[in-house]
Amino acid sequence: MEENVIHIRNLTKKFGDFTAVDHISFDVRRGEIFGFLGANGAGKTTAMRILCGLSRPTEGEGTVAGYDICSEQEKIKRNIGYMSQKFSLYPDLTVRENIRLFGGIYGLKDRQIREKTDAVLDVLGMQSERDQFAGALPLGWKQKLAFSIAMVHDPGIIFLDEPTGGVDPETRRRFWEMIYDAAERRVTVFVTTHYMDEAEYCDRVSVMVDGRIAALDSPDRLKSEFHAGNMDEVFGIIAGRAGREE
Amino acid sequence: MWKYLLEKEFKQFFRDPGLPRMALMFPVLMMLVFPFAVSMEIRNINLAVVDGSRSLESSRLIEECISSGYFRLVEVCDSPEEAMRLMDDNDADAIITIGPDFAADVATGAGFPVGIKVNTVNGTRGSIGAQYLQACIRMYLQERNAGAAGMDSGTGMAASAAPVIDVSEKYYFNAYLDYKLFMIPALIVIGITMITAFLPALNIVSEKETGTIEQINVTPVSKTAFIICKMIPYWAISFFVLTACLLIAWAVFGYTCRGNLLWLYLYTTLDIIVMAGLGLLISNYSSNAQQAMFVIWFFAVIFMLMSGIFTPIASMPDWAQAITYFNPMRYYADAMRAVYLKGSSPLEIWYDAAGLAAIGIAMVSWAIASYRKSSD
Repeated sequence: MEENVIHIRNLTKKFGDFTAVDHISFDVRRGEIFGFLGANGAGKTTAMRILCGLSRPTEGEGTVAGYDICSEQEKIKRNIGYMSQKFSLYPDLTVRENIRLFGGIYGLKDRQIREKTDAVLDVLGMQSERDQFAGALPLGWKQKLAFSIAMVHDPGIIFLDEPTGGVDPETRRRFWEMIYDAAERRVTVFVTTHYMDEAEYCDRVSVMVDGRIAALDSPDRLKSEFHAGNMDEVFGIIAGRAGREE
Repeated sequence: MWKYLLEKEFKQFFRDPGLPRMALMFPVLMMLVFPFAVSMEIRNINLAVVDGSRSLESSRLIEECISSGYFRLVEVCDSPEEAMRLMDDNDADAIITIGPDFAADVATGAGFPVGIKVNTVNGTRGSIGAQYLQACIRMYLQERNAGAAGMDSGTGMAASAAPVIDVSEKYYFNAYLDYKLFMIPALIVIGITMITAFLPALNIVSEKETGTIEQINVTPVSKTAFIICKMIPYWAISFFVLTACLLIAWAVFGYTCRGNLLWLYLYTTLDIIVMAGLGLLISNYSSNAQQAMFVIWFFAVIFMLMSGIFTPIASMPDWAQAITYFNPMRYYADAMRAVYLKGSSPLEIWYDAAGLAAIGIAMVSWAIASYRKSSD
């Protein structure tokens, strides 16, 4: 039995009268690719922000990487990587400077940063672009670079918030190759996505509807449970029950 | 961690297409253009004359006014109506009306039929203009009496019998009442306040807009480290601007600081802390650059108008004076003028340092508390 690196019980987040996340519970195992699906406004971004230590839950408890989500947020931050849907590198710093900045922030030494930079540039095939401004790169490259930078301190868990928005299927496929590589190195990947073909790549997916988890299983089992040919149909059936407006 | 954050801030500053140029242009503009623009000296008052007398005496009076250098003769009119029309058209700021019996009345001492009308749409310009005109008329009378006394000692009797009080004035610290000298420390105050309040605020808001602040928030960077690393480049820029302004004031106008330069830098440091705190505070509560700009502009106007830079605080009503105690620019401007013009040291103006420090501590702690990494 694999250990659980994310362990969440009855997690709830209220904004005034509005319950964005309503008593959700789930576990994520080490090295798993965990898909976190849901329509816009279903509460998945709110839940993810709590797991990353950006927001405090109203109720419930849980641990991420072994640290408490209520009281040990700073320790969580040191042990996770995060990449958001908004391209979040500094556009006016070069590729190399971006790697250096985030390496430095996570406490890497200059020598380690240099080694890491070379390794990342080699893997991405971006050695010749290392002195280009990050803002000038094509979107697909930016996303791959952002992913590598979120991994610069070798975190045990990486959170990806709609990482492949706005790029072509080929670029998305290559991005998922990077995700598979990370999972093979026993990194836990927690990913939200809009693309149902990407949901098929996950080991397990959860579907959030109206702040609750409406379904949670492997893509194959979900498909047979809902008598659907693909994840898109599964999602259509589950999300169709939503009462909450977007 | 600090090293890398600072490196980032400085690189971003020098890569910005506008900021480094602005840091250079600011002191030059402030020292070479603004001192002339904000001068409160009233000159070139347009004067219309209604000369009903058309005599030697009346032309001497007019001559006296024009030669003072403050008035520009627009026209000698024939009727008061014509002069009023000039004033209505904004061609004349002041009208001096000389009665038809002027020469005779002055000669006999029967009276002095001269009237003054002043356009007080701009109150300061109007009232100062009226004072100048009265001064010119007094000068004319003095000269005339002196001349008359020389010719005829009999008519001078009344004047010499009256006790003569001679008021002599002596001006300290700005002996020539040079408005530019008075404004230079104040302009430095305004410039540094703008740079240190505007730039950090816009800096943070732009990180919010691009989403990079979210990326920093999920890292172990502490609130304090992030804010201080944001502030340090603006400290550097402000000291550069201060030094450049002092050098330009010396090279171009020959002005030097009477006090110890160290005190200028000390008070500037205090002000920078206040302003950087304010800027960050505003950016924390603004989600886009437009909001931040508007709020800073709002504060900047209040700061400037209630600082005593343009109008003396002592002449404000009590409630307005009370507000100025919460205005950091009040303390900073007062200190800069005291050190630059009078040569004061913090021993004499400790209250300015205390005021700035109190506001600075409040601002910075509030800014740090409100920059919440863990939002609700």
